[in-house]
Amino acid sequence: MTQKNDIRWLPGFNWVTLFFFLFLYLPLFILVVFSFNASRSATVWSGFSLEWYVKAFANDDIQRATKNSLIIAVFSTTFATTMATMAALTLSRNRAVKRKNLFGGVLILPLMVPEIVTAVATLTFFSAIGLSLGLGNIIIAHSVFCIPFAYLPIRARLDGMDENLEAAARDLYSNKWATLRLVTLPLLMPGIVSGAMLAFIISLDDFIITLMVAEAGSTTLPIYIYSLVRVGITPEVNAISTVLLGVSVLIVTVSYLVGNKK
Amino acid sequence: MTSAIGLNGLQKTYPGSPPVRALRNADLTINDNEFFTLLGPSGCGKTTLLRLMAGFEVPTAGELTLFGDDIAHLPPEKRPINTVFQHYSLFPHMTVLENITFGLKRLRKPDAEAKRVAQEMLDLVHLSDFSARKPDQLSGGQQQRVALARALAPQPRVLLLDEPLSALDLKLRQSMRAELKRLQRDTGITFVFVTHDQEEALAMSDRIAVMSQGEIQQVGDPATIYEFPENRFVAEFIGDADFFEAETLGGTSYKLPNGETITGPQTKAAIGAKVTLFFRPEKATLKRAGNGLSGRVSDILYLGNSTDYVVELVQGGSLTVRSENHKDGTAIAEVGSDVVVEIDPAAVRVLSA
Ligand SMILES: Nc1ncnc2c1ncn2[C@@H]1O[C@H](COP(=O)(O)OP(=O)(O)OP(=O)(O)O)[C@@H](O)[C@H]1O
Ligand SMILES: [Mg+2]
Repeated sequence: MTQKNDIRWLPGFNWVTLFFFLFLYLPLFILVVFSFNASRSATVWSGFSLEWYVKAFANDDIQRATKNSLIIAVFSTTFATTMATMAALTLSRNRAVKRKNLFGGVLILPLMVPEIVTAVATLTFFSAIGLSLGLGNIIIAHSVFCIPFAYLPIRARLDGMDENLEAAARDLYSNKWATLRLVTLPLLMPGIVSGAMLAFIISLDDFIITLMVAEAGSTTLPIYIYSLVRVGITPEVNAISTVLLGVSVLIVTVSYLVGNKK
Repeated sequence: MTSAIGLNGLQKTYPGSPPVRALRNADLTINDNEFFTLLGPSGCGKTTLLRLMAGFEVPTAGELTLFGDDIAHLPPEKRPINTVFQHYSLFPHMTVLENITFGLKRLRKPDAEAKRVAQEMLDLVHLSDFSARKPDQLSGGQQQRVALARALAPQPRVLLLDEPLSALDLKLRQSMRAELKRLQRDTGITFVFVTHDQEEALAMSDRIAVMSQGEIQQVGDPATIYEFPENRFVAEFIGDADFFEAETLGGTSYKLPNGETITGPQTKAAIGAKVTLFFRPEKATLKRAGNGLSGRVSDILYLGNSTDYVVELVQGGSLTVRSENHKDGTAIAEVGSDVVVEIDPAAVRVLSA
């Protein structure tokens, strides 16, 4: 391809790219910068300080919300990842199952359903069956909608794995379970870790569904932040958000690195 | 001679629309301590047959025995049969040593014994220095030998090899042929070897089964398969062959379409029956003059140790004659030379048309 025909050489293309990057990252950048601001202002810079972080970490409500968020994320990640692994193994390996594509499609369909619809549906369902388990409600709701997120990387890993490896294990005197334990799961682990981290982030981040199904006393971090913002943007909010951002970036990075491991 | 593997009316049909009849009604006996080869073109069902023996597929119908015992429905882990996979399929998360001891450990052999056998296997395939490496740190040929060692370590009664040499380059392939042959002789294990390379099959096998479209066409030792193929498919698939149509005149005489007669072997076919005659190109002689079928050289293929001459016959049709090159390196004939093809009656075979 000559340079002239290459899309990257269209005039102005560089500027458009730059604009998009600014558009994407400038708000985040400002949020992070002003979390270190010495004054209360969210627009005027008046010097570096960690004051807002200290305040945020000392805040009882924030501590409680963080704890709730972590408990929910850990349980729903565990549950969702287990289910997703079993679903991926069945849909990619079990020859007795017919219509695999249909089931696979149905499994990831929730990704396409607007979240507000899922939220309302979950709320209606919970109140219809009279479910009231405190954090348990949120854990169940999160587990369910995290399954497709956990499923995708696991399935991708499994599809890229030579089925003859499992045949070789069977051939070398391992029954189905030993094959799963000694060959399939160890090789699938990067996919599982990657799926679990994705599920963790999604759960930690979730707002709409959580808001709908949360009962009194089950406030999570995103909901607490929202309640703070409604009163007015404080540097404290910036500080918590920055921490949350840091955690997300860290997990996504690890997930990406592990997922791409051979 | 004991039978290691027996097939009796074995069939495999893969479901689908339309279903694929990958193996139709195969009858076959593979003897103990034999280097047995399944030979056939792509898609003829060789892998399917091998997977049935290994237990990765369940037959649609028929019997499959291992030393007389019915194994058709045993899972792979219950069969004392091991496989060398076409793309090796070594466990990437284990070292060479762990790969080789895998089967032994699954058979609950004590650690010390597993180590000792693995060491023997490593020596056998000349990889003693590589035991701590991971498979992706080995060359293709080395991976190949680890796969062999891994499959041989549990001392199976039968070893299955699915085109194990196809991914290697020519030189390596040739040295691995000798190596495999030696391993078979040293271990006394029955080898069932799959290939679509007829030269490989002829060079290595005690016996060969030629397959086509899910059916076994002929079983025999390499010389029988090459010299006395039972049908046109086998004759064409193994080596090169010249065919011509003829009519039997009784006894050993055959009439060619242009009225000439040639002598061949005795046939059971009725007088006047149409038959196909064939001979191997290296068994005819090309002469400047003499008795035989006359024609003109239309093409020359120089092969190094010999040369193929394509001769357009005066009577119509063409034949290929393979001649050893002159000692002094000069050609026997040039394109356009008038020549005579002499065919020794002993070299002519009759196929029922
Ligand atoms: N799992 C399967 N489902 C459906 N059809 C199959 C399956 N495996 C093989 N076949 C079909 O069965 C036939 C025989 O396949 P097989 O793999 O046994 O051939 P092969 O002789 O090993 O060929 P090659 O030399 O290319 O490896 C082919 O037509 C193939 O398409
Ligand atoms: Mg094959």
